[in-house]
Amino acid sequence: MFGSFLKTSQVKSPWLMHFDCGSCNGCDIETLACLTPVYDVERFGIINVGNPRHADVLVVTGTVNKRNAVILKNIYDQMPSPKLVIAIGACGCSGGVFREAPNVLGGVDKVIPVDVYVPGCPAKPEAIMDAVVTGLGKLKGILEAS
Amino acid sequence: MNLNTFYLAVAGLILAPLVGGLVAGVDRVVTARLQSRMGPPLMQPFYDVGKLMSKVIAPASHWQGMFVRWALVASLASDVMLAAGADVLMCFFVQAASASFVALGAFCGNSPYSKLGAQRELFQLLAYEPVFMVGILCMAKAAGAFDAYSFMAAQGPLLFKMPLIVPGLLFVVLVKLRKSPFDIAASHHMHQEVVRGVYTDYAGRDFALLEIAHWADVTVVLWICSFLWATSPLTMVVTAGLFLFAALVIDNISARLTWRTMLGRVAPITLILATANLVWLYLE
Ligand code: SF4
Repeated sequence: MFGSFLKTSQVKSPWLMHFDCGSCNGCDIETLACLTPVYDVERFGIINVGNPRHADVLVVTGTVNKRNAVILKNIYDQMPSPKLVIAIGACGCSGGVFREAPNVLGGVDKVIPVDVYVPGCPAKPEAIMDAVVTGLGKLKGILEAS
Repeated sequence: MNLNTFYLAVAGLILAPLVGGLVAGVDRVVTARLQSRMGPPLMQPFYDVGKLMSKVIAPASHWQGMFVRWALVASLASDVMLAAGADVLMCFFVQAASASFVALGAFCGNSPYSKLGAQRELFQLLAYEPVFMVGILCMAKAAGAFDAYSFMAAQGPLLFKMPLIVPGLLFVVLVKLRKSPFDIAASHHMHQEVVRGVYTDYAGRDFALLEIAHWADVTVVLWICSFLWATSPLTMVVTAGLFLFAALVIDNISARLTWRTMLGRVAPITLILATANLVWLYLE
């Protein structure tokens, strides 16, 4: 019983860490909008944390470039397992309009494995919340299989 | 120790953290409603702790794990002592030891935020411990003994003999619940770096144990506050509930103060008020 409670808890308590990896701030604003009373993601037990050691889900907005790739990898490595990564916006998914820039490596998946991609420029708060729920469904599948 | 006391102690050991967890759940729901949000389910703090328990992460230092366990033992011990009717002053000292272990564990971390939080935790201890102690001394003077059962068996509500300790106790509740304006070492609701200071380097299972210790602490503090009107179990629950609700309202309408204001202004004022009450009780 205790084991199943622990598994349920992992799905019911996703703590997000938001990393702005070089976004134009459009996607950042939409991500933070999820915390406002209009969207209130805390309904799902979601909390926005500022510490990778406490985070379960890494939400990345913006493109990865040569300078911040190391930081992104570092944050990812500091997070405890099991963890999810969500790439937000066209930039996070593929590099978006900036993908041809000389300093840009591309989307988040060039550096760390991504579980859910959220398209849009900027991505809508509803889509971001949907991505977290989709990611948790994936996590649940992994936990049940283990 | 007779068998009854033993059962009460076991009940205290098991129920106190659960009550603390429930208080945290009520806190999050009420706070969300005050902010026109729906808020998480009532059981959310338990899910959070369950989740943290199942996380795999290396501790920031081996000492940290040890201090977390000592903090948990000390917090649970203070609950057990109260439930078994032991000396309330001793229970208060054990609870203070728990808070010191939390700070010591945070000092073991590598992060500067953690060290800053640990220092602030010590400032908090310095600010609320004296007024909390004087409050308990007032209760003991009025009840005629130091054990918890005497507090609960006192003739009539203790509140009317010690109105001046109420601001002090509210201050203690705000600090212990990590509520604004005194969420200086770590904030209950905010989760960014400095405002979550003392918790920065705790993670995974250690963090979960720390949360359980925090729940046990909250129960002790609210329980001691409830002695102010201990004519029946119901009045005790209502008194503790009023302190909790007052803390939540203050949390939502006030901004964080600096540690200097807490230590230089609020702590002395509440301490002077409580001491005046104690002197009055002795002169009476
Ligand atoms: S996807 Fe659009 S809104 Fe989002 S960071 Fe890129 S350019 Fe900005």
